[in-house]
Amino acid sequence: MAISSSSNLAKEEQKLAFKLLLPAFLILIIIALYPLGQVFYTSFTNREFASSTKTEFVGLDNYQALLSFTVKELDPIIDQETGEQAVDEETGEKQFQRPIRVLPRDPHLYRPAFEFSFFGNKYVVGARTPDFIRSVWNTLVFTFFSVFFETLLGLIVALVVNSEFKGRGAMRAVMLVPWAVITVVSARMWEWMFEPTRAGLFNMLGDRFGLIDGSYSFLSSANLQLPAIIAVDVWKTTPFMALLILAGLQLIPNELYEAAEVDGASKFRQFFNITLPLLKPSLAVALIFRTLDALRVFDVFQVMLSQKRYSMASFNYFQLISARKMGMASAIGVIIFIIIFAFAILYMKSLGVDTE
Amino acid sequence: MTRDQKKILKKVLFYLVLAIIVIYLLFPFYWAISSSLKTEAQLSMTPATLIPRDPDTGEISIFTRNYKAIFTNGGFIRGLINSTIVATSTTILALLTGSFAAFALGKLRFKGKAPALYTILAMTMFPQVTVLSGLYAVINALNLSARVSMIFTYLLFTLPFTTWVLTSFFRDLPDEIMQSAQVDGATPFQTFHMILLPLTAPALVTTGLLSFIQAWNEYLFALTFTSIDVEARTVPVAIQYFSGEFARQEPFGEIMAAAVVVTIPIVVLVLIFQKRIVAGLTAGAVKG
Repeated sequence: MAISSSSNLAKEEQKLAFKLLLPAFLILIIIALYPLGQVFYTSFTNREFASSTKTEFVGLDNYQALLSFTVKELDPIIDQETGEQAVDEETGEKQFQRPIRVLPRDPHLYRPAFEFSFFGNKYVVGARTPDFIRSVWNTLVFTFFSVFFETLLGLIVALVVNSEFKGRGAMRAVMLVPWAVITVVSARMWEWMFEPTRAGLFNMLGDRFGLIDGSYSFLSSANLQLPAIIAVDVWKTTPFMALLILAGLQLIPNELYEAAEVDGASKFRQFFNITLPLLKPSLAVALIFRTLDALRVFDVFQVMLSQKRYSMASFNYFQLISARKMGMASAIGVIIFIIIFAFAILYMKSLGVDTE
Repeated sequence: MTRDQKKILKKVLFYLVLAIIVIYLLFPFYWAISSSLKTEAQLSMTPATLIPRDPDTGEISIFTRNYKAIFTNGGFIRGLINSTIVATSTTILALLTGSFAAFALGKLRFKGKAPALYTILAMTMFPQVTVLSGLYAVINALNLSARVSMIFTYLLFTLPFTTWVLTSFFRDLPDEIMQSAQVDGATPFQTFHMILLPLTAPALVTTGLLSFIQAWNEYLFALTFTSIDVEARTVPVAIQYFSGEFARQEPFGEIMAAAVVVTIPIVVLVLIFQKRIVAGLTAGAVKG
């Protein structure tokens, strides 16, 4: 009797659990699983949004169009008179033939994505969709540098805030301010600070200290776009990083430091032998969260650079909304998914994070 | 150098670093406030001034019409209303369904608990952009309005987050509470909504606030789904498409005023619930 009633109770509990989980899982199926299946399927078609062309199954065409690339060497231009490589008179740079001459045209046109030099030879990377190849590169560079600086600054801020001083509470409040600013708003705020005349903060400061001539256009010149965007993201997300690291710091028992103090270990050694190893789990989780977040960056890129330079997500958005190519956008979505998934696995494996 | 001097030097250095951090974190926001109080002429002054000053006399002169302008700007007001509706609705939905699921995951014993937990955890890292085109197709097929679409699709990130954080709160509640309620003849569901739910009220406030902020912040879905329905634009989209009253390509004075207006309520909320937010954020991540 007692046994059957307790197993009845267990059954009741099981039933109740399913009932309680049902709404949440139903919602997730409708807004995540089903669209994911849909995206996967659509990525093999040439579907276009709001167009009269018939949707056809095209196999891997979209993926091929996005991912095909080729590397070609650019031959130097030989000056007929001297027999040596020609040099641009204005810039003094060595001249190479134009990429368009070496990249294949049939059956598909390859356009230059970027060029690089290696042992004095010059190469061009050509792609059928150079914007996409570049967007992947932009996103990876953005992710690497922003996560790196956020972790570094976050660690410094956390270490400072973790020590005893007057006004520590107020300091923690200050830390939350950038985090509380909407991403789009912070992008707009920085956009204004990056203004290409001395009306912009950075040009004004640079000019005052005699560093630059006061008319740098941070968001138009190719070399400064990514650093500018990274600066915005670092400002906005350092507090979050610092909070996570701070939580980790507070888990380290004080006795360890006291013991180290007695043994005469310097602060420096204490940091490397106690703080850093014990902080590893918190740092690992923070790193994963931030990396996966940075890989899907959209807001900052879309607001500050729009179609000047894409991240993977903003390229996806423009394919969908401006070009109305649903099949293509879906294929991009799948590729982003795979990249993020790969990063998640890689991180969990190499850092040994326990999900329990 | 004596010991005391060393100590003082250390202290000075420490406060210097502290000051640099505070300036770094707050200055961009100060710059937005200061710019929002400038006229067109003051904004285009070169070099820019730290405090709004008169271009001719150099005296401090503060201009408040940017604020008046944004509050007579229909788009901005509508954005505020839309954002409030969307963020509030999605938060309520997420808390409701999330707390049910979290109770089951945190306190009940049932088969398939581990896979369910892993699914939720995986969902907290789900990249929203991958399903963008799929969701867009679903929404167009169902002919959902932009606001409803946003409320519904924002659950993609608010629901797994609330479920995950609330699960850890439920798990931390002592089992004895449930057992004694059961002895008193309460069904598990009664235990849940009459005893456990009130106990988790602080956790509900925290996760609710965090998911509200996430929804308030969201841009990708908002931009995509409101591309056909201008009326439904939320604050981030409205700020991106800001066109000002005073003629200029990009009315930065008004944009900065709008930036300040939408940031201050969040900052105030965050400062009030500071401790809880930090706890919620770290519970969502550190335990994840």
